[in-house]
Amino acid sequence: MVDRPLDEAELVERARRGDLEAWETLVRTYQGMAFRTAYVLAGNAADAEEAAQDGFVKAHRALGRFRRGAALKPWLLRIVANEARNRRRSAARRERLTLRAAAQDRPGDAVPSPEAALLARESHERLLAAVERLSEEHRDAVACRYFLDLSEEETAAALGIRKGTVKSRLSRALERLRETLEEEA
Amino acid sequence: MSSLEQRLHELGRELAFPPEPDLAPRVRERVRGRPFPWRAVAIAFAVVVLAVAVAFAVPPARSAILRWFHLGGASVERVETLPRAKERSQASQLGRPLPLADAERRIGFDLILPPLDRKPARAYVIGDSIATVLLRSHGKTVLLSEFPSFGEDALKKLAVNGTVIEPVDVRGKPGLWIQGAPHVLTWMDRETGYRERPILVKGNVLLWLRSGRTLRLESRLSKPQALGLARSIR
Repeated sequence: MVDRPLDEAELVERARRGDLEAWETLVRTYQGMAFRTAYVLAGNAADAEEAAQDGFVKAHRALGRFRRGAALKPWLLRIVANEARNRRRSAARRERLTLRAAAQDRPGDAVPSPEAALLARESHERLLAAVERLSEEHRDAVACRYFLDLSEEETAAALGIRKGTVKSRLSRALERLRETLEEEA
Repeated sequence: MSSLEQRLHELGRELAFPPEPDLAPRVRERVRGRPFPWRAVAIAFAVVVLAVAVAFAVPPARSAILRWFHLGGASVERVETLPRAKERSQASQLGRPLPLADAERRIGFDLILPPLDRKPARAYVIGDSIATVLLRSHGKTVLLSEFPSFGEDALKKLAVNGTVIEPVDVRGKPGLWIQGAPHVLTWMDRETGYRERPILVKGNVLLWLRSGRTLRLESRLSKPQALGLARSIR
């Protein structure tokens, strides 16, 4: 007989009762998301790793206060992102987001022609440069929502703001990006 | 979804994030080995003294969190830049105003107050964690907040380098005096779980331990005035 995998609520309940393996399973499930979110907000890989680690340790301490039945991911994001924001580097000292090397195609990708690949890359580079020129709060909102693929609710949790504020920041950020891209065209 | 949003999603898939670290072993080690949270007063004092010694003895760590201090349910961290926070006046955003007795029932303990002609009529309560009363001392408004030391980061302060943080003694109990540049105050709510609401504080702050709880004075008082008021609380 094969044991069925434990669902998230069961893992949380076990971790709450002191089962460290259950917590470790949850850490492994969310560590990628936590690290990338922390990286975007802190602007530095070493700080992001530290923030994510501290976030998981603090979340474990606060498990007794986690509301049963609530979604774990936004709660974790809030804690990790808070740690990351506390470590935020000034804009001048932030590691800039960069594109993957051209050779790093994802598995299953159709291979584009060299000309099409070059055009796509230039377009991505222009867009990324425009995002990096946004104000900090607009850049963070864009990075969480689009680069990390977080929902509006998760973005709100990560940034410690209301969902309505996420919507308005995104709307203004998109407007600025359109203006910048049109000016450069 | 607009074409620009679509392009941003595509761009996100093309970004080169640093390799994902395996956090689980270190988290497990730290969770298993963490000390009992309500440390004895003497140990807390030793930690504060050690932290101060280390802070002045070593160059800044690799982290943007430069130095930290811990006291009961509160921690104070020196950071490179303060996070965005809403500024509050002394008397606003203190929580829900309740008659003093109701506030004490809600937080589960009687407030320790300095000698007063008349007790404050009301206290402001956040969740079921922190109660604050408004007092007058030396002609200035003073906020006295009290909360149980239920977690190491129940209350956290983030301060930049312009802020003075020094250990003090309040009737034989360890404390911290925080003065200078504005700092950010966040706290955890016992009832609703981990939640932090950053507030920008411009006053001077005295934190100290007393009978299993952490007390906090926020005011424009000088250090001797604040210490005098704290020491009058028996």
